[in-house]
Amino acid sequence: MAAVPVTCVRLTTSMQIVGKTSALKLVSMGRNKSGFPCLRTSRFQISCVAKPETVNKVCEIVKTQLALGADTVVAPDSKFASLGADSLDTVEIVMTLEEEFGISVEEENSQNITTVQEAADLIEKLVEKKNATA
Amino acid sequence: MAIRINTATFQSDLYRSFAFPQPKPLRSPKFAMASTIGSATTKVESTKKPFTPPREVHQQVLHSMPPQKIEIFKSMEGWAEDNILVHLKPVEKCWQAQDFLPDPASDGFMEQVEELRARAKEIPDDYFVVLVGDMITEEALPTYQTMLNTLDGVRDETGASPTSWAIWTRAWTAEENRHGDVLHQYLYLSGRVDMRQIQKTIQYLIGSGMDPRTENSPYLGFIYTSFQERATFISHGNTARHAKEHGDVKLAQMCGIIAADEKRHETAYTKIVEKLFEIDPDGTVLAFADMMRKKISMPAHLMYDGRDDNLFENFSAVAQRLGVYTAKDYADILEFLVGRWKVADLTGLSGEGRKAQEYVCGLAPRIRRLEERNSAKAKESVNVPFSWIFDREVKL
Repeated sequence: MAAVPVTCVRLTTSMQIVGKTSALKLVSMGRNKSGFPCLRTSRFQISCVAKPETVNKVCEIVKTQLALGADTVVAPDSKFASLGADSLDTVEIVMTLEEEFGISVEEENSQNITTVQEAADLIEKLVEKKNATA
Repeated sequence: MAIRINTATFQSDLYRSFAFPQPKPLRSPKFAMASTIGSATTKVESTKKPFTPPREVHQQVLHSMPPQKIEIFKSMEGWAEDNILVHLKPVEKCWQAQDFLPDPASDGFMEQVEELRARAKEIPDDYFVVLVGDMITEEALPTYQTMLNTLDGVRDETGASPTSWAIWTRAWTAEENRHGDVLHQYLYLSGRVDMRQIQKTIQYLIGSGMDPRTENSPYLGFIYTSFQERATFISHGNTARHAKEHGDVKLAQMCGIIAADEKRHETAYTKIVEKLFEIDPDGTVLAFADMMRKKISMPAHLMYDGRDDNLFENFSAVAQRLGVYTAKDYADILEFLVGRWKVADLTGLSGEGRKAQEYVCGLAPRIRRLEERNSAKAKESVNVPFSWIFDREVKL
């Protein structure tokens, strides 16, 4: 009997994988050079759901940076750009997040932060990494 | 060739304005996920053809000044004759490159050249990298005269137009022409640099041109030139000071005399914008904010030597490290202009005008804070070869 190829795993754009361990299992792509599946492409993201407190803190910081009124809704998927942020605002938001959470964001990562959710997710990842190496 | 698409981060955009030190050099292809943030100016190199210089690929906007405002500049011609042309120096009183170089018609020529080369030997490579970059920038003068002639209301319509604006542009070009000349001849005689590579870079750069995003508007154009003249004044002033420190007084005088020209030009351009603030405060403050949002890009940011895809970035990094032209200078120039034009005191502005005023007045401190944060980050020291100095390496 022919073996079922392990590589028959099709990942669609709508799939959101919650939690890291399940992500690792689902994504064994057979022969992968590094052994670790790297799925950061422009099509989809594996987002670990960030804690609500983190998301709220990010919303707060964004509201302050952009001087938004209390009635402006900042949702997790709000794009900074549509809230009126220019590129300088975005960099300053990232800077404030670094200070607030005691993390350091690499240039490559900071360019991927366009919404509150993305920021919160990255923060959680970096905080965890920081605590792991502490 | 790597495709380097700058995403909209301020840091990536800023490298076109001054050396914004990056923790890691951007080498790998980057894809914009958020290409909608702001107006990303991107520099894209073709993957198909090897050795292709970079190009501006942002949308090139034309004639953003409403045509009725052209009248303003026509009506200013008399004022310009009395107030701007006075900042030109009569040719008979002007220095010429020969005044600062060995005299070929004299018996002592060879000896003078030997002395020049002996002094140049004492000057380090990193200084030469910056001096060469400055010289290449000056030699791209055709681009700048072109840029002035793209501006509505003030362009030289025939090449010999008698309007004050056209007289200014031609005479300004003539004065600037000496800068590239004197530096070129100095570098040629010095023996410290690869003239062929430098000349190739110049040819590429003039071929590339530049779009400072002044959109045919003299408001945007004169704000841009005001900033630039001050920037070159600062930068040549610094190279003069460093030349002196390295023991070459003649080179210091050369750079110093160039800086003096730039100062005179800065005075003229800032005067024009001052007058515009008087005549049309709202329009002018909006223009100021617009230029600052788009960032003042350096004239030579498309420089290419046929070898290095990151040539301008690398050159800027050295200029930053040596303190010749830095992020702090950018912020200082902005702050100076805000003060010079009394932007904070403007009244009677529209809603948009007030927002622009606030933006411009608050911008310098924000840039400084960014720069402080960035310089506090520990950076690995990178040594990079420059073809201008025969691929010898210099620290960024």
